[in-house]
Amino acid sequence: MQQTIVELRHISKSFPGVKALDDVSFELKSGEVMALLGENGAGKSTLMKILSGVYTRDEGEMLIFGEAVSDMDPKKAQALGVAIIHQELNMCQHLSVAENIFLGREITHGGRLATKEMNAAAKAALDRLNIDIDPNTIVGDLAVSKQQMVEIAKAISTDAKVLIMDEPTSALTSKEIDDLFVIIRKLKSEGCGIVYISHRLEELQHIIDRVTIMRDGKYITSGDFKDFTMSEIISNMVGREIKEKFPRVEATLGDTILEVKNLNAGRMVRNVSFNVRAGEIVGIAGLMGAGRTETTRALFGIDAKDSGEVLLDGKAIHIRCPEDAIKAGIVLAPEDRKKDGLCTKLSIRDNIALPNLDILCNPLGVVDKKKEAVMTAKAIEDLRIKLPTAEVDAGSLSGGNQQKVVVAKWLARNSRLVIFDEPTRGIDVAAKVEIYNLMNELKQQGIGVLFVSSEMPEVMGIADRIIVMCDGRITGEVDAQQTTQNEILEYATQFEAKVGVTQS
Amino acid sequence: MEKTAKQSPIKKMMSVRGMGQVVTVTCGLIVLCVVFGILNPTFFSSRNVGNLLRQIVPILIIGIGQSYVLITGNIDLSIGSVIGMSCMISATLMTKGVNPWVAVLITMVCCLVIGVINGELVARCKLPPFIATLGTMTIARGIAQISNNNYNTNFIGAEAKGFQKFFYAGKVFQAGDFTLYSGVLIAIVLWLFFNFLLSKTRTGRHIYAIGSNIDAAKLSGVNVIATTTKAYIVSAFCACVVGLITCATTGTGTMDAGNAYEMYAVAASVIGGVSTLGGQGILLGTVIGASIWQVLQNGLQFAGAQVAIRNIVIGVIVVVSVLMDVIVRTGKPRKKKLDSPAAATKA
Repeated sequence: MQQTIVELRHISKSFPGVKALDDVSFELKSGEVMALLGENGAGKSTLMKILSGVYTRDEGEMLIFGEAVSDMDPKKAQALGVAIIHQELNMCQHLSVAENIFLGREITHGGRLATKEMNAAAKAALDRLNIDIDPNTIVGDLAVSKQQMVEIAKAISTDAKVLIMDEPTSALTSKEIDDLFVIIRKLKSEGCGIVYISHRLEELQHIIDRVTIMRDGKYITSGDFKDFTMSEIISNMVGREIKEKFPRVEATLGDTILEVKNLNAGRMVRNVSFNVRAGEIVGIAGLMGAGRTETTRALFGIDAKDSGEVLLDGKAIHIRCPEDAIKAGIVLAPEDRKKDGLCTKLSIRDNIALPNLDILCNPLGVVDKKKEAVMTAKAIEDLRIKLPTAEVDAGSLSGGNQQKVVVAKWLARNSRLVIFDEPTRGIDVAAKVEIYNLMNELKQQGIGVLFVSSEMPEVMGIADRIIVMCDGRITGEVDAQQTTQNEILEYATQFEAKVGVTQS
Repeated sequence: MEKTAKQSPIKKMMSVRGMGQVVTVTCGLIVLCVVFGILNPTFFSSRNVGNLLRQIVPILIIGIGQSYVLITGNIDLSIGSVIGMSCMISATLMTKGVNPWVAVLITMVCCLVIGVINGELVARCKLPPFIATLGTMTIARGIAQISNNNYNTNFIGAEAKGFQKFFYAGKVFQAGDFTLYSGVLIAIVLWLFFNFLLSKTRTGRHIYAIGSNIDAAKLSGVNVIATTTKAYIVSAFCACVVGLITCATTGTGTMDAGNAYEMYAVAASVIGGVSTLGGQGILLGTVIGASIWQVLQNGLQFAGAQVAIRNIVIGVIVVVSVLMDVIVRTGKPRKKKLDSPAAATKA
């Protein structure tokens, strides 16, 4: 029999200037997967951070296993069997897997760390999830997806009965997502209650039992997943109907803007040749580690190129560093916006002005404040970035708005080619559509758009032409409107050993 | 698991994190010693080796303290002033006739208070460590100056012979011209204790975790404030001991004792592979770092270099050794890229 293991009643929480949660109630039963849905800034993460003791609530009641809990902190949450896997990976990069798994609850004998014991226990937790990682490995040496697995192992090793997963799949490949779902089903059958937060609605059907939907810090509705249609869920989340998930616009195809010939950069970019024409969006698809990001990085001059030619508007250009690329008119909105895209401690205005200081400064190098204000205001208006003033820290914005700022800083100057690397990762449906529309606008203006994405439906829905990469090479090129997911996947899995077989 | 049991001792030793850097700098240290030995054979005389060991002691001890703080991702600028404070307070008390061991105890309490204040300011009040410890650095120097009304003290007196012996002059072991002084023994004991604390205990693990990712540590239930404060207390304790050694060395209290030592401590830590960004480094490295620092001082002196030249050479070596480390670390991904034939030909 399913019992209610978590009950949150009338929870409210305010941060300076915002009411993050307003009278929200939430219930979780044992042996179920509950999807907590809502747009960015709806308050899902805040609610779960209250449940796991990271934040304290202002008002409301919290019952865990039927017992009222007044003060919650991470340690207490752990003792009560509540574990959270955070959206942003929270690992100590310099410590080993086992050390991370046991961080904060190390086993000691007479003050001395029981390293062997902890390694063995960590191995057991990893084995239970069928994850093949040596517990002695330094976490910083692992791929992001493996780090995610370690986080899950860490949560499970605390014997958690309530497991909160905040966007667990955003960094995983489809194979790894399948593995994760196997784990989730197993935990479910063992009686764990799982809260699953995700923007990837298409995943939900495989895994969840019930949904709770939030919007603007308020509870909207909840119920059995099978009683909802996907469009009902979306309209409840967004508060309005979204007509088209992937809006497509037509534009006349113009001259070739960018031509890349035999680009080589390390192992992940090998003999890459392609072109981008005015009036089209070129998508780059592929599995994780296919060399897509590396290609954009080499193109933008972040990583050194070994050989190859880059032609912009028919003229050969030599890009040795990002500065060269920007001057030539190639700009990049990077994959990891917090790490590479934004100075999170600087204001929106400073962020937008940063790559454009050459335009904004007078010959003496003094920033023209008026010009700066005009540029910032225009960019904010053009992109409909929601913010109180341009002076707030970039880090305080929601994911979708942060992404818009990353794009805005590049659009303020006249670029020829804009590279978007995973621009919609971790942002909500409505913000995604706005990013797509932005790309469409560029396309209509005759600016080249290169669009790297791991999510197949969006590449197929937005791009005109798709280049598929595998193992650092281009393995195929397809017309977006005529291709199928299977065809793309086939190209994306043409690993080197297989190439001979498929081609002969 | 069985695999680790079968590993050879060398392999096991090399599997300790940060050992690579330590091995590199150890090679550097050996080269330096050989060069100085060739330039002036007296460098290797038993007498000089004994003295050299004794000279390494202060740098090593404060290096241990600074390493603790650096690994948490912070810095302690108050070390030099705490040395001065410790030296002056203990000496003043002893000249006033206080029993030396009582004086040591009082001094210790005063110094540890500075450590606690540092930790509280940095961890609880969230002041930037550079600013917080810059403040306590100035305060501690002021206390050192005021302890004996702005004068250096007189000789601490014959009653303090035991104190001097314990901290400095005592001869633990003698063989010909070689003497193992008590200070060296103190350094060894402290090192063994603090190395155990850092590498084998929960506190040590938490110190690394905080320096590596403070948010992750917090969310895992690590008490960040207490742990950071512990690191600062270790640093203040180490500085206090060095202050007592300084006092025992000359037998008087000097107000500017330990001036700029906090930076020597940073140098010893960093040469030994401790990262100023936190999360990385081992105390074995600090031993080597401190040794390199003092071998340079001593060796250059023996080679007849004037003070100015010594300073320049040491400065250059500090920068170069850290630069080499940076190149080794950031050079790694570049090496991987040499896999492609085009890159290999270009390189």
